[in-house]
Amino acid sequence: MLEVKNLHVEVEGKQILNGIDLNVKPGEMHAIMGLNGSGKSTLSNAITGRENYSVTKGDIIYKNESIVEMEPNERALAGIFMSFQYPTVIPGVNNTYFLRAAVNAKRKYNKQKEYDAASFLKFVKSKLKEVEMDSKYLKRAVNEGFSGGEKKRNEMLQLLCLEPELAIMDETDSGLDIDALKIISKGINNYKNKDRSFLVITHYQRLLKYIEPDVVHVLIDGKIIKSGGKELALELEEKGYSWLES
Amino acid sequence: MNLSDYQNEFDNLISKQSYSAVSQPSRKDTFSKFLDSGLPTRKWENWRHTDLSFLNKNNFRITEPGDASGGSIDVSNYKIANTFTVIIINGHYLTINSDLPKELTVSTNSNGENWTPKNKKDTPFELLNASLSDSTITITTEPNASIQKPIHILFLCTGNDDLMINPQVNIDISHSSSATIIEQYVSNTSSFFQNTSVFASIEKNASLNHVRIHSNSDQTANISGLHVTQSDDSTYNYFQLVDGGALQRSDIYTDLKGKNATCYLSGLALLDKKQHSATYIISDHIMPNCVSSQNFKSVLNGSASGVFNGRTIVREDSQKTDSKQSNKNLLLSDQALMNSNPQLEIYADDVKCAHGSTTGALDKEALFYMQSRGINKKEATSLLIRGFVSELINDIKNEDVKDYLFEKFDNWLLNNNQ
Repeated sequence: MLEVKNLHVEVEGKQILNGIDLNVKPGEMHAIMGLNGSGKSTLSNAITGRENYSVTKGDIIYKNESIVEMEPNERALAGIFMSFQYPTVIPGVNNTYFLRAAVNAKRKYNKQKEYDAASFLKFVKSKLKEVEMDSKYLKRAVNEGFSGGEKKRNEMLQLLCLEPELAIMDETDSGLDIDALKIISKGINNYKNKDRSFLVITHYQRLLKYIEPDVVHVLIDGKIIKSGGKELALELEEKGYSWLES
Repeated sequence: MNLSDYQNEFDNLISKQSYSAVSQPSRKDTFSKFLDSGLPTRKWENWRHTDLSFLNKNNFRITEPGDASGGSIDVSNYKIANTFTVIIINGHYLTINSDLPKELTVSTNSNGENWTPKNKKDTPFELLNASLSDSTITITTEPNASIQKPIHILFLCTGNDDLMINPQVNIDISHSSSATIIEQYVSNTSSFFQNTSVFASIEKNASLNHVRIHSNSDQTANISGLHVTQSDDSTYNYFQLVDGGALQRSDIYTDLKGKNATCYLSGLALLDKKQHSATYIISDHIMPNCVSSQNFKSVLNGSASGVFNGRTIVREDSQKTDSKQSNKNLLLSDQALMNSNPQLEIYADDVKCAHGSTTGALDKEALFYMQSRGINKKEATSLLIRGFVSELINDIKNEDVKDYLFEKFDNWLLNNNQ
């Protein structure tokens, strides 16, 4: 599904990632753990194609194709989704309208009939239930006046509507209370199947109480220095990151 | 066009007896005041940012009653559904729907009989208007009348001549009555200069919704003075859309002379190429318990430039004033320029006043967020610009007018997001 090969990434002239290798197979969930500044978010931004994150060496292969030169929307249409650490507020743009534009872009790409306003509303209401979100949030501008938890539920709602094959969850647990954390985790667990993969980026082990990664990677200074099973996360919780730093 | 060009035009018209005898002394007096003041330059504080080169470079012939021919403009292009339409061609009244309700009077005076134009602020262009105007339209409502259907005044400029037009519009909203008036300026001439004065009086407990649309061709100058006087408990809602013309300038004066009056001013400028649009406002709070707001936005593309200069004066006796000013501008190109200057002058102590101004490019974070959801950059840009302007247009109460404005916005966007 996703192969990251010797990935070096520079942001505004500063080298952040120093040779990352990853291989996420269909149906797998990988967790990337690391302290602030270790390069976790740079990795997700590089995979989704954010401007100014330049790949200086190495490659990102998704479904057997290099995506390094692709526009962010082309990557999204191909099935990559990122749940943002800090979802963007877009004043004046209605949440339903935005979501429909996104879903219709995907449907058009898949040569499916686009939703009109009424059929989309029916579609999105069924998804709302899964993330226990009030429909009033659909009427607001995108993420405007949403609490931290509501923003993350809105991200989850977008994920459920867009049905990506590779979902990157960037610090999804930050700013979440325990109830919201449970809802989001449930959403992830329900969504995951043998064809869908997850890359879960997190600072703490907290989220991993509710979802079970197949592989845990520890990222320090832009390099993966240790990979292991979910027990690695527990070890990190116990010992902190310092025992891994040379 | 310089002072002597204006002088020649004036002398020519006065000698032709184009203007009524009764108005001649006043016109001569007003014109000599104009000559004394001269045309504004960049050295005048209020004209510092307004580029008048278009006017200085071009010559115009002052319009005469004979210019009101049908011309070649297809009026149906400018129709707004469910309105009474008054058509003014080249500054002269042509036609109006005949089905006006009896509570509404629309009278016109295209030949200036027994009529002397008004002047309020002695600014150069107002003095010019008051010395040269030969056409007026007066809209009056009966007390207690609620006129649901908007009155659409369509100013058309057509023909091969480069004309200067100086209309005056009088709006009298009698006590406890309400009306919606749309002024629209369109043209297909090579070049023209429209210099308009509008005087609106809103009596006690009355309400006026006023929409102004500037959609002129690229070789057009449009300068207008708008004077609004409000009495107790009155409401004034103003919205202007500028999406055409080389030079557009509005000077808006609202005098809150009554208690508990409400005055909402808003506007949207959609500019590209070398267009320039300037809005100067003085909202004068004279009496207590009034509410006023100024909410103006611009989207600037190409090497367009704009000015927002909103001044709110809160006088000593106007306690409990609630006043807001907001100016937000979106720059779509590196060459676009905006001057924003909201100003508050407060002489009373128990008031609530706020002002703010932002100017910036499209939010890159928001663009990336949308793209990361599969929306391409062009569509994401459209969504963002639409989001930026829709708040203002959505505030328009009349649905037909709102639809028309969104249609105009969509057309503009089509040409400016490629």
